[in-house]
Amino acid sequence: MRILLDNFTKSFGKLTVIDQMNLEIHDGEMIALLGGSGCGKSTTLFAICGIHKVNGGRILFGDKDVTNITSQERNVGVVFQSFALYPHMTVEQNIGFPLKLRKEPVEQIKRKVHEIAEMVHIEVLLHRRPGELSGGQQQRVALARALVRRPDVLLLDEPLANLDATLRLEMRSEIRRIQQETGITAVLVTHDQVEAMSMCDRIAIMDEGKIVQITEPRDMYVNPVSDFVAGFLGSPPIAFLEGRIEDGKFVEPSTGVHMPLSADVATANNGREVRVGIRPEYFQPGNGAMIKGRVSFIEAQGRETLYNVMLPDGNILRSIQGSHSPVKIGDDVEWGVDTAHILIFGQDGLRI
Amino acid sequence: MGNSKHLGLYMLAPAFLFVIVFFLTPVLLTGVFGFTNMSTATGITGGSYMVSQSSMQALKDRHDLSEIAKKLSQVIYTIDEEGLNAAAQEGVDAGTLAELKAGFLGQSFQKRRAVERAIKSLDNRPSSTRAIKKLSALFERSVLNIRYDTEVDLFAAIDKFGLPLSVAEKTAMSDVTYTGWVFTTDNFKRMISLPDTMTTLINTLFYVFVTLIVFNTGFALVLAISTHYMDAASAGFFRSVWLLPRITPPVLYVLMWKWLAWDTGFLSTVLGPLGFEPRNWMLDTPANAWTFIILINGMVGASMGMLIFSSAIKAIPSSLFYASEVDGANRMQQVRHIILPQLRFPILFITSYQTLSLLTSFEYILLATEGGPGGATEVWALTTYLKALSNYAGALEYGYGAALALVLVVVGVFLSILYLKLFDFKTLTAPPKIE
Repeated sequence: MRILLDNFTKSFGKLTVIDQMNLEIHDGEMIALLGGSGCGKSTTLFAICGIHKVNGGRILFGDKDVTNITSQERNVGVVFQSFALYPHMTVEQNIGFPLKLRKEPVEQIKRKVHEIAEMVHIEVLLHRRPGELSGGQQQRVALARALVRRPDVLLLDEPLANLDATLRLEMRSEIRRIQQETGITAVLVTHDQVEAMSMCDRIAIMDEGKIVQITEPRDMYVNPVSDFVAGFLGSPPIAFLEGRIEDGKFVEPSTGVHMPLSADVATANNGREVRVGIRPEYFQPGNGAMIKGRVSFIEAQGRETLYNVMLPDGNILRSIQGSHSPVKIGDDVEWGVDTAHILIFGQDGLRI
Repeated sequence: MGNSKHLGLYMLAPAFLFVIVFFLTPVLLTGVFGFTNMSTATGITGGSYMVSQSSMQALKDRHDLSEIAKKLSQVIYTIDEEGLNAAAQEGVDAGTLAELKAGFLGQSFQKRRAVERAIKSLDNRPSSTRAIKKLSALFERSVLNIRYDTEVDLFAAIDKFGLPLSVAEKTAMSDVTYTGWVFTTDNFKRMISLPDTMTTLINTLFYVFVTLIVFNTGFALVLAISTHYMDAASAGFFRSVWLLPRITPPVLYVLMWKWLAWDTGFLSTVLGPLGFEPRNWMLDTPANAWTFIILINGMVGASMGMLIFSSAIKAIPSSLFYASEVDGANRMQQVRHIILPQLRFPILFITSYQTLSLLTSFEYILLATEGGPGGATEVWALTTYLKALSNYAGALEYGYGAALALVLVVVGVFLSILYLKLFDFKTLTAPPKIE
């Protein structure tokens, strides 16, 4: 079901956390609300499920205005960060709880619980209590409970934050599989850009209560609207250099590095102070615009190796390289930047 | 580091000492005293042997020896050496005494007149009636109201009295004439036979369970849950209001209730214009007395449960409330499915703690009604106190009181075990499986 936030405003006391936010989530789409802590992503989620009352604007499920409807009547499924399973109930009772509250017949509850348990692969755990489950199993139970009554929207609040690394990887694809199988509209709240990019159809990146950019994951990575977005996406993160555009080139004053820019950008912004963002994969040996520096840090990540290269003025560029090179910490290197892929931002942080 | 493992024991030693001196010893002594007939009459140290009106009555009633009892209750006159010697000391004429000795030595007389007649029959008789009476008084023999330190002394006296006793009769005699305390199970027999015991028992059960269910647990739950759903400021205010009775000195607290209920008090004054006769509302009827007793105790008792339950509700993760909310649970369903199951342990704690505390507490009843009207609000602990330590007649029955207290201890222990079984204590205190 389509979800629409129309000029949604939320404040706690005098503090306005979210001011006039607009967001449309398409039917069957999984969208990520991505941002650091305190950016308002969880607040938005709690407003959609009705736990927080909104202070302004409307929330629509389909064409139905649910702004003033209590969460009990909204038909949303929520997976909480702590899973929030009822410790005194068995897995079966936990999953069947929403149906029991609707006073559905016992037989029907049993059938539905078994169906959903099969889908999330926990049918053998139904008689256990949450205390007897591993983190991943608890996660699946929480997911089953959220899905069992066919909610209009599935809301996931940092669902993977409490899992260890391998489980996180597994549950990432499981949640996506289940979402696609059920075709449910889903909202994922996360601070982890990898989760957001790997699980969702679109990402809405938030900062200080505002959506900065909303687009598909690949597009957001390639075409960030601001240095904030560029810095948030990508691991290892993008590196920035400050400088100015002169005669069709980006010039970094301290090192005198020149980088040729595309003609239309260069001529329109000649003489302007800018920041350029260089992603690690575009700073490699053998590329065009050569930069000298000293290797200050090496991190072997297995398949790839990350190098931090310190420029004479102390700025750091990152390079991620597939093949292992014999470079050691302290070595002077001269690697090149792929100028076709550098991102140029104005002093206000917006993309040029 | 080697010495420090005993440090804990050393530090706890004073506590152990206090527990032993002020708790274990009294409990043990209560257990011992419960099987004695100690009272103000027997004293708490040893006793002596004494033939008295009441011991003779007991001899008749308990041992069916009415003949002996009748004889021992009488005064007889025996002409014996002791009497003669005493008379010689008094300066009675030696000839009189010699004649008396020759004619009557060893004879006993039932009546004073008989012995006087015997004296008058002597040739050398004293001249005045007054002297005869004085002389006859010296032969007066009785075991009534004389304390004998040992039963041997008593039996010797009875022997001399001229009433040799069989072994069985001696046993019965020493039983009824001993004035000190003895070990006995009579307290419990008496407890069972007295109809008052059943009344007190029913009163106690009524008092404990009505106060417990209505106020100490029930109303405490209502307070805790309703303040949970309030905003923080009003919740804090309401909780403090309910704590006030708890921090008021009990005597003042009960005095205020009395002012409320007296025939010149608040209720009478307010209800007077509405056509109600002024009266002591608290002691007017047993029903009124119970209403006041339960209110007085409940208002104090509810606050503790409220605090415990409130903090337990606060300890429930808020995400559980959120989850149940989006699962469609309204507040009643949240209370039923989330709060109450999580409060199992606190409810067990309050129920058992308050049962025991109500069973043994009688101070508010003592201050408010003193068990009245007519013993209608007398509970077990209060009866124990009145019997053993305070009553108008001043005849304190320590032994019987201790026996009553012992019953209370046994009931308390039994109830604790029952509660632990009922609430499945072991699984409640098991280490959590979820972190």
